[in-house]
Amino acid sequence: MRTLAIARLLARPAASGRTAIVLPIVAFGVATALLLTTLAGAMTFFGRHDELAFTYQALALLACALLLVPLVTLGGSAARLSARRRDDRLATLRLLGANTAFVARLTVLESVLLAIVGASGGVVLYLALTPLVGLISFRGHPLGAGALLLNPLVVAAVVVGVGLLAAVSAVIGLRAVVISPLGVRARQSAPKVHWMRIVLGVLVIGAVVLAVAQPSMFGGALTIVIVLVVAFAAANAVLGLVGPFVIRMFAKSGLKHATTPQRLIAARTVLESPKAAWRQVSGVSMTTFVAVFAGTALAMIGAVSGERMPHSQEVLLADIRTGVFITLAISFLMVACSIGVGQASAILDRRDLYVSLDRMGMPVKTMDAARVRSVLSPLRIVTIGSAVAAVVVILPIAGAALIFAPASLLTIAASIVGGILLIWLGLLATRPVLTRVLAEPVAPRE
Amino acid sequence: MDAMTVILEASALTKSYGDTHALAGVDLSIEAGEAVAIMGASGSGKTTLLHVLAGILAPDAGSMLLRTGRGEIEISGLNDRARSALRRETFGFVFQQGLLIPELTALENVALPLMLRGTPRTDAEQLAARWLAELGLTGLEQRRIGQLSGGQAQRVAVARAQAIEPLVVFADEPTGALDSTTSSEVMDALIASTTGRGRTLVVVTHDEGIAARCGRVVRLRDGRIVESRSRVAGFDYAQTPPASQAAFGAPAEQRGETR
Ligand SMILES: Nc1ncnc2c1ncn2[C@@H]1O[C@H](COP(=O)(O)OP(=O)(O)OP(=O)(O)O)[C@@H](O)[C@H]1O
Ligand SMILES: [Mg+2]
Repeated sequence: MRTLAIARLLARPAASGRTAIVLPIVAFGVATALLLTTLAGAMTFFGRHDELAFTYQALALLACALLLVPLVTLGGSAARLSARRRDDRLATLRLLGANTAFVARLTVLESVLLAIVGASGGVVLYLALTPLVGLISFRGHPLGAGALLLNPLVVAAVVVGVGLLAAVSAVIGLRAVVISPLGVRARQSAPKVHWMRIVLGVLVIGAVVLAVAQPSMFGGALTIVIVLVVAFAAANAVLGLVGPFVIRMFAKSGLKHATTPQRLIAARTVLESPKAAWRQVSGVSMTTFVAVFAGTALAMIGAVSGERMPHSQEVLLADIRTGVFITLAISFLMVACSIGVGQASAILDRRDLYVSLDRMGMPVKTMDAARVRSVLSPLRIVTIGSAVAAVVVILPIAGAALIFAPASLLTIAASIVGGILLIWLGLLATRPVLTRVLAEPVAPRE
Repeated sequence: MDAMTVILEASALTKSYGDTHALAGVDLSIEAGEAVAIMGASGSGKTTLLHVLAGILAPDAGSMLLRTGRGEIEISGLNDRARSALRRETFGFVFQQGLLIPELTALENVALPLMLRGTPRTDAEQLAARWLAELGLTGLEQRRIGQLSGGQAQRVAVARAQAIEPLVVFADEPTGALDSTTSSEVMDALIASTTGRGRTLVVVTHDEGIAARCGRVVRLRDGRIVESRSRVAGFDYAQTPPASQAAFGAPAEQRGETR
């Protein structure tokens, strides 16, 4: 009960505190709504038992798997925001003598509360969207809003799952506070990224390529899908391991050659935490990945659609195309949200610093430029790296002819441009957060 | 004594936040090369005054003149951009917490104001190294801010404020978060690098010991100056009757800086 009372006290929103509370709620809401909608869409394929049913089910699972990573990323960044915004206050509580378990309970409680509120909103949003999503046509008929209603138990499970995700993120974010109450405030250690990551990455990619090459010889549709899902997950894990290391290498050279304040700050910001820099843009690695898959699928459809085929096959191809676009669109939406959340929390985290730099006369333009640069330079690396990794993974199955077909290349290029544009929008959209922080320089007195 | 050159001249400054009259008509002249301590109870308007003097805040009314060798500038008449440029080019700042950029090294933090003015990085870092050495921080150049003690970090902030050779250095409770020994070390550094070099220092403080080391102490109450006493060659003379001192004898309520 005491935990609850103090949580309420600390949750009282101040000027910037409001953003820190609203943002995770919105992000949790969007993530939940998209997850439920995707699940509902996938479920509609599972009631049937005709000859194509199996193919549809496999493809639906593939789409779900492709969306899982951006979803977890979004949920994770929302959870991190809600937990990390409290670091300062929690460190203070620790300094005041609150014990470790108490601080842990408080953080987890707060994060879970925000997550549950957001997820509940997400359920409402999902329900509101069903009539619209129901208009989408698969197998020659619109899905219909009714078919998209999930079992209430599933919905409840999703809400609980989102809450759990928040709890886990909070606990992870908390370890720093618990270990060193002063460390969190002072940010003493710049975490190192180990070169072992590269080795590990190459090994896993190699293993995945081998695994993918194997079944393509006998080509069972389900096997391919399963292997693809595993390959996708593995390749993503690899990118997550290797990405920060590569980003750090580039930032080091950027630091050496930095001539302007914004370049210097940007390079140092990335070096401070290559993992955080990676997280901010890793969403794009998802869209690039999905784009390579999608592009290949579209090229495959293009290759066979000239031929004569039974009606059901034609419908299947059209449906795959629809599915590909929906998957792309949803992953983009989720990435857009995580970038917004990530950027806003990055600014709020540095509130005091930005205010003091403004007072010293650092132009807002310079601060903004440093912020933009610290995101965009890792972005370059992420985009190229993930496209290459995706091509490597998919090559054994699809063959170069399909991956490098015009339809495929076009999709990939459009998605990459779209991804970069999204990041830009995220940066642009969060600029007002920066200007507002500067306009209300008096820190909320507590 | 020579006719002093007034560098900052505030007259009839007012500034309100809603119903709070943070400044209720302040007149203050600050001479080039002097060290002025601004004191007063919490909420008396010290920070607000400092911010108006430095062009961080625009006053509601009154005039705020900066006199440099090149002429007079009415600071309160400038727009945001121009005031920001003025701060960057002519003033130095030290805040309670150094508020140095945590990702940068000590050296880079000090070099930054120079780079903002367009000094090439290598030159800026050379100058910065010299300032750090001057403040007794040799060997710590490559440390990141979190790896410094509070006093060291604050001396880096002092070095940063000196880097552009500002006309005036503004400090708001620069030693507020330090213990008394460290606090007097930082103050030594601050005074040596400002008035010690003919620069002007305006410092907001709750610490009588620190105020005693400034040439002049200005006391605020409810947004007005109620006392302004100078110390010349170890001899104090008050410009306001000592009777008004009693009200300010009690130490200001110590604000917990634990946000
Ligand atoms: N941004 C603001 N919005 C509203 N009121 C403010 C703002 N800034 C200051 N005030 C009010 O103006 C008055 C003077 O504030 P100021 O910060 O100048 O005091 P101070 O003398 O520096 O106090 P302290 O010693 O506590 O730092 C106070 O009553 C304060 O609450
Ligand atoms: Mg103050």
